[in-house]
Amino acid sequence: MHALRLQPLGLCHRLGVWVEPKVDRLASRWHHCHVTVLDPSIAGQLAEDLPRADFLLIINTFRDDLARLTQELTAAAATGDHHSFHRAAHSLAGAAAAVGALRLEASARLGMADEASTAPPPPGLSARIATEAQAALAALAALAQGPG
Amino acid sequence: MTRPPPRILLVEDTPTQAEVAKALLRDMGLEIRHAETAGRALADALANPPDAILLDLELPDFGGFELMQKLRAEGVEAAIIVVTANASVNTAVEAMRQGAMDFIVKPYAKARLTVTLNNALEKRALTQELKTVKAQLSRDRFFGFIGASAAMQAVYRTIEGVAASRASVFITGESGTGKELAAEAVHKASPRAAKPFVALNCGAIPRDLLESEVFGHVKGAFTGATDNRVGAAKQADGGTLFLDEIGEMPLEMQVKLLRFVQTGSFQPVGASRPEKVDVRFVCATNRDPLAEVEAGRFREDLYYRLYVVPVELPPLRERGTDSVLIARALLATLSREEGKHFRGFSPEAERAIMAYAWPGNVRQLQNVVRNVVVLHDAEVVEPAMLPPMLLRAAIRPTAPHLTPMAAPVVAPVVAAAPVVAAPAMAEPAVAEPVPVQALPVPLPEPIFVPVPPSPPALALPPLPPPLPSVPVIEPLAVMEKRLILAALAETSQDVARAAALLEINPSTVYRKLQAWKTAGEIP
Repeated sequence: MHALRLQPLGLCHRLGVWVEPKVDRLASRWHHCHVTVLDPSIAGQLAEDLPRADFLLIINTFRDDLARLTQELTAAAATGDHHSFHRAAHSLAGAAAAVGALRLEASARLGMADEASTAPPPPGLSARIATEAQAALAALAALAQGPG
Repeated sequence: MTRPPPRILLVEDTPTQAEVAKALLRDMGLEIRHAETAGRALADALANPPDAILLDLELPDFGGFELMQKLRAEGVEAAIIVVTANASVNTAVEAMRQGAMDFIVKPYAKARLTVTLNNALEKRALTQELKTVKAQLSRDRFFGFIGASAAMQAVYRTIEGVAASRASVFITGESGTGKELAAEAVHKASPRAAKPFVALNCGAIPRDLLESEVFGHVKGAFTGATDNRVGAAKQADGGTLFLDEIGEMPLEMQVKLLRFVQTGSFQPVGASRPEKVDVRFVCATNRDPLAEVEAGRFREDLYYRLYVVPVELPPLRERGTDSVLIARALLATLSREEGKHFRGFSPEAERAIMAYAWPGNVRQLQNVVRNVVVLHDAEVVEPAMLPPMLLRAAIRPTAPHLTPMAAPVVAPVVAAAPVVAAPAMAEPAVAEPVPVQALPVPLPEPIFVPVPPSPPALALPPLPPPLPSVPVIEPLAVMEKRLILAALAETSQDVARAAALLEINPSTVYRKLQAWKTAGEIP
């Protein structure tokens, strides 16, 4: 009998639904999943398929998105606006997924785990997202630089 | 002609996602527009209908499924591809149920996106093509023409096919079939549409004046040429020159026309230098052009120069229900012109119109409708308002209660009517009913005997009393008198209608009546 194999992203997403407040512990599990900052099948493929100018344009657009959305997340968390928080987290997850920023996407998904819930977002999530965003941008920039 | 690039509407609220999609599609030669909200997408799709829509389901103002419903309700027929991060079966099923053509899960690879979009565009193009072809096959109007019959659809297709070319068009068809309309359609469908269309009826111009009419003349070229005159060839420069009834053109003029067709240059009468013009030739005749060539009345070299793309206009009798379509359109136009109140034809009147052979084609139909409109005023045209010849035609092929009678009966007083000898056997030969629509000219009709008890199909004047199935041979004068009196009885002594039923001149009826009165045979 085969053991059920869950993809790291899916596993973390599911975990996030029922251990919502335990972000730090989840984050440590996340690292145990050996998830890289960038998914090579997405980010690497984009870098390979697209002209460098297009790839750079995407990175710059992503940077603008990150700046706007992390600001929205922070503001929503501060005011307790769950809907706006969820909405910003959703957009952030989408933007991260588009460039293959796996860890950032997973973190953002924690913020959109339960839209209907009135519970506040997990403490420290905004900071964590900001950290992952920086990591993703740095990894993308390195990818744009090429192997040399 | 190059086709415009496919128009894609990308509905995506996350700029990074949108930029990735645009970058992946950049080398596909598409025209991509981007809307960040459902509301903007709806407005954009209505203002400039796209071929395909890449639709994110999670949008800030309202959802993607709701947008799909609104798009479909507004008649937007673009191929919709749902793009979502939610890869659940339920979402996919719902997307398809709402009319999406395909479904892509984010993030996607370039190949997945391009293949999906290409498939959708191809399917969309096929759907559009099918729609266009269906519309072409069922159209009932084409420039000045009215008609949905298969025969006319073929004419429309030929005209469309040849319009863009410079090739000469040769239109044939009986009188009244719309040859000039066809020539105008060729011109209007062509790139020359904005330039002049000049029509010249070669049969209506005296032979001596034809050259001057076509090529023009200079002052003093002949007696009466008091000024320079521009001919049809010059007037049609850049456009189309329509030479109607070209079969009537004298042979010596055909030589000059041949030179003009070959070189594009002509010499006005009395001029010393030739002039060059750019003219597309459309010719027409109601004769068989090849027979005219064989008879030596039309130059063979000119025939081959002009007879490049033939367009044969079918006679009205071969156009099925087109006669009714045209009659309705004419009735509306002429009623308006004459200030009458006609709104349509009764079913019986339409059946009569359809059953008639229309030897004069559309022109004859036009005259009949004008006659009805001028002489009557009502909301509905009834059979009694139509000329008797139509009513007779309506009785013949469509009345199911009538069966051709066994032969030997003399047709009423029509000189050409054949007298069929009675066969000696008990089973008489049965005359085949001839469909009237197939006949170019009215022929002596067979005598029909009502078969009881089926009710008559048309509310038309009943036929003369039943004739015996086993004929009694009587003197011709006796039969003639009996038939004329029967016809008068059936038409309430209306001599004109009785004469029409018998296909004789009313004066013949009057003359016979007078003779019988004088002889004391009738009161």
